[in-house]
Amino acid sequence: MEALKNAFDFSDQPRLDMTIAGAVGTLFLIFPLLPLSAFALATMIQFFIFSLYGMGWNTIGGYGGQVDLGKAQYVGIGAYTTAVLLIRWDIPFWFSMPIGVVFAVTWSFIIGYPLFRLKGHYFAIATIATSLVLKDLFEVWEFVGAARGLEISPIEYVPPDFLRLIFKEDIYYYYVIFVFFLAGLLFLNWFRKSRLGYQLRAIKDNEDVARSLGINVHWAKIKTYAIATAYVSVVGSFHACYIKAIEPEDTMSLDISILIALMAMLGGAGSLWGPIIGAGILIPLKSYLKEWLGGMSGLAGMDLILYAVIIMVISAKEPRGVWGIVERIRRRKRT
Amino acid sequence: MALLEVDNLVKDFGGLRANDGISFQLEPGELLGLIGPNGAGKTTLFNCIAGKHPVTSGKIVFDGEDITALRAPEVARRGLARTFQVYAASGDLTVRENVMVGCFMRTPSRRKAGEKADTILADLNLMAAADQHVSELPVAAQKKVTMATALGTQPKLLLLDEVAAGLNPGEIEEIMASIRHIHHQLGVTVILIEHVMELVMRTSDRLIVLDYGRKIAEGLPDEIARDPQVIKAYLGDRYVKEHGGEVG
Ligand SMILES: Nc1ncnc2c1ncn2[C@@H]1O[C@H](COP(=O)(O)OP(=O)(O)OP(=O)(O)O)[C@@H](O)[C@H]1O
Ligand SMILES: [Mg+2]
Repeated sequence: MEALKNAFDFSDQPRLDMTIAGAVGTLFLIFPLLPLSAFALATMIQFFIFSLYGMGWNTIGGYGGQVDLGKAQYVGIGAYTTAVLLIRWDIPFWFSMPIGVVFAVTWSFIIGYPLFRLKGHYFAIATIATSLVLKDLFEVWEFVGAARGLEISPIEYVPPDFLRLIFKEDIYYYYVIFVFFLAGLLFLNWFRKSRLGYQLRAIKDNEDVARSLGINVHWAKIKTYAIATAYVSVVGSFHACYIKAIEPEDTMSLDISILIALMAMLGGAGSLWGPIIGAGILIPLKSYLKEWLGGMSGLAGMDLILYAVIIMVISAKEPRGVWGIVERIRRRKRT
Repeated sequence: MALLEVDNLVKDFGGLRANDGISFQLEPGELLGLIGPNGAGKTTLFNCIAGKHPVTSGKIVFDGEDITALRAPEVARRGLARTFQVYAASGDLTVRENVMVGCFMRTPSRRKAGEKADTILADLNLMAAADQHVSELPVAAQKKVTMATALGTQPKLLLLDEVAAGLNPGEIEEIMASIRHIHHQLGVTVILIEHVMELVMRTSDRLIVLDYGRKIAEGLPDEIARDPQVIKAYLGDRYVKEHGGEVG
């Protein structure tokens, strides 16, 4: 009960922020009704998807300071669970999604337990490695279609199918993921103020001090990693129904992992709005860049160059991202 | 029954014996001063008692329970809290949030942790700074925040490692007032490591002196101030021969 109240309690946020959030939220609500292109709608769906990935990343990576570059493996577990269960046994999304979470969280325990003994860069590198191993495994695993991947054939269903999340028009997907987005935001708002959230921030700051305050550092990280994993897996399941064709190369690539981490860091790691701001900047940029430059094959690597530039600017100028700049300006105004 | 019993504690770092057979007892309600020259092994002793370092040999009994093999979080949950010599509270969190981290050890409820934190902040005169970020505060206030955070875990015994180091006389008075409040009003037993001799002498019920990892003296403050071995440890042989003075 108290947890639910805390999730809806944004009273510690400045009024200006809540006004802007309300306005933007309203815009999101009516967005599909505006006379915009299908491309714009698809970009918005990507924005919500990556915002949610970023929120998940933010729990362990932002509040916990454990830089995770292997989120794609959980996108894969969620997406594959939902696709396999639907295609083989006609098990709908709302059942397969929680099953996917169970698989993903179990996997996160198995790798989190040893990985959280590692520190700093070693942890980041190890997450990349496990993600790549899982991807390689899926590429040769016939049961899940190996490198060809899986395809959900919409002809077999009668859209709009809310149970299986099979729709013809993107507008349905838009509102489903929008609801997930709101739920994810509320959960993050609860998390950052929860006991675990506080403990994690203490851990990020100084592990010895955290231990002296009765915090089981290893277990707190594992629990938070499981939460981060659940976010990503749920959205991975959604992704499978939305895209309808998944293959290891797309779903579980290192690019996705890096993009998730980068977005959250660009927006502001360890802040409530950071991942959303990061996704709001990078996703449209990426998708329109691709659209404009797509024809010019010589410029195919543009987005990678863009990422590199962003990483350099963040690490040199403002490690706390866009939100760090906002807070700096605010503090200066107060004093 | 003693609240804390340390029996023949030894701690080696490679070839270095940082604690060499230290034994002492602490009664509930005492304020024990722990002094000694730089590198004497005071912080190491805290680290061993609080479970940060595994001990090489010896035994530590807290509140009737053998805690020698327990790790730091378990020791904390049994009611033994500490501050760190080289740590100011988390600059990322506000003062209240810092203290709440401590309070969360006893309750999962944010409301209860917040209420408890506010009581402690009021006790230590920190209420005015509750919503400020710790990095914005002067060092003296930061040190008080680390004490408040440790108090949040509702300890029976609090180990304070040089909370007055680097403060000016006015700030030292303020910290001392807080320590006395914690000891008298809140009834917490305290062990105090301090280099500011005047502070320990005035505040402690009893003193223990370490030198090169060994306990070289134990007793009332004015006994310790006259103890030739203590004077030697602090000022060196030559000074004692020439002056035979007191540490004060
Ligand atoms: N983690 C460690 N690893 C190796 N040696 C250590 C470690 N911690 C302390 N030492 C050594 O143990 C000895 C005692 O150090 P300790 O920090 O306990 O002294 P102290 O009495 O607290 O000194 P100070 O008054 O300067 O704080 C020193 O020689 C120190 O270099
Ligand atoms: Mg020390």
